[in-house]
Amino acid sequence: MPKWFFPAAIVCGVLFAASPFVIANAPFESDLGLVQKIFYYHMPSAWMFLVAAIVCGVSSVRFLATGNYRHDRTALAAGELIVLFGLLTLVTGPLWARRSWGTFWVWDARTTSSLVSWMIACAYLILRRYGGPGSEKLAAGLALFGMANVPFIYISVNYWRTIHPPTTVVPTLPFSLGFPLWFCVITFLLLFVVLLKLRIRVEEQQARVDALYLALDERS
Amino acid sequence: MNTLKRWCAVVLLVVSWGTMAVAQQPQQQEPKRQEGFLPVDQLPPTESMPAAPLLITAYAFVMIVLFVYVLSVARRLSVVQQELNRLDASIRQGGRT
Repeated sequence: MPKWFFPAAIVCGVLFAASPFVIANAPFESDLGLVQKIFYYHMPSAWMFLVAAIVCGVSSVRFLATGNYRHDRTALAAGELIVLFGLLTLVTGPLWARRSWGTFWVWDARTTSSLVSWMIACAYLILRRYGGPGSEKLAAGLALFGMANVPFIYISVNYWRTIHPPTTVVPTLPFSLGFPLWFCVITFLLLFVVLLKLRIRVEEQQARVDALYLALDERS
Repeated sequence: MNTLKRWCAVVLLVVSWGTMAVAQQPQQQEPKRQEGFLPVDQLPPTESMPAAPLLITAYAFVMIVLFVYVLSVARRLSVVQQELNRLDASIRQGGRT
């Protein structure tokens, strides 16, 4: 593992442990009250969901362009993180919506496109797991569709009728509400980097195991 | 002709009876206007949903899922590392396990 990994993992753990206290000290939002505090985990999860989709898509393009399996391993690791952070987003969002919108789910542009993106990531992992030899190139094409959906998810709230807050909410947050949010964003970003590196490491070691089996086959 | 007059009378009777029935329905009451200030604990009961269970569920879900995922990746890394060490050792010994 690189030198930065263990300090980064420790800092991430400390930040993650401190985040509930930072969130608890944040003031209640005037309209939504206590339930608005779900926002501090929901939105960073959603951002990491989109970042993971971009990393997976860009790595897949690089893999298709160069044929270098290092990019493929990054894409696979990021694909798993899309499903992880997407799951967190798609579960915490409806829990917040139940109180603030009165329903767990509405089929508006953002929720629907997020669900579609999450299902594309699930399809990507299923294809990688059960697709057999050569499926990595087909899966890379699928990852491109997943990445193409990211801008649509982000801007959908500004262009379509939706009860989701628009993208202007975050820049206009006062410090007392903005500080816990950016604290959690940094925590989740660090968590994303640590998990991505850890997951890539698993794939790297697996590739070494496969290479050793091939070497043993050639020897025998 | 008499039959036609009789039918017209019946239709008129039914229409007028229906109109009277509709007109006699109670008018929808306007909401009572609040006069003056009212303490919040004297408000009429409305549908309310406690936020705490939703909040706790959301945070617990995030913590548990992340914990399980980290454990899962650590276990996978440990398994593949053990296999790698075993293969390295067998290559050094010059044989196939």
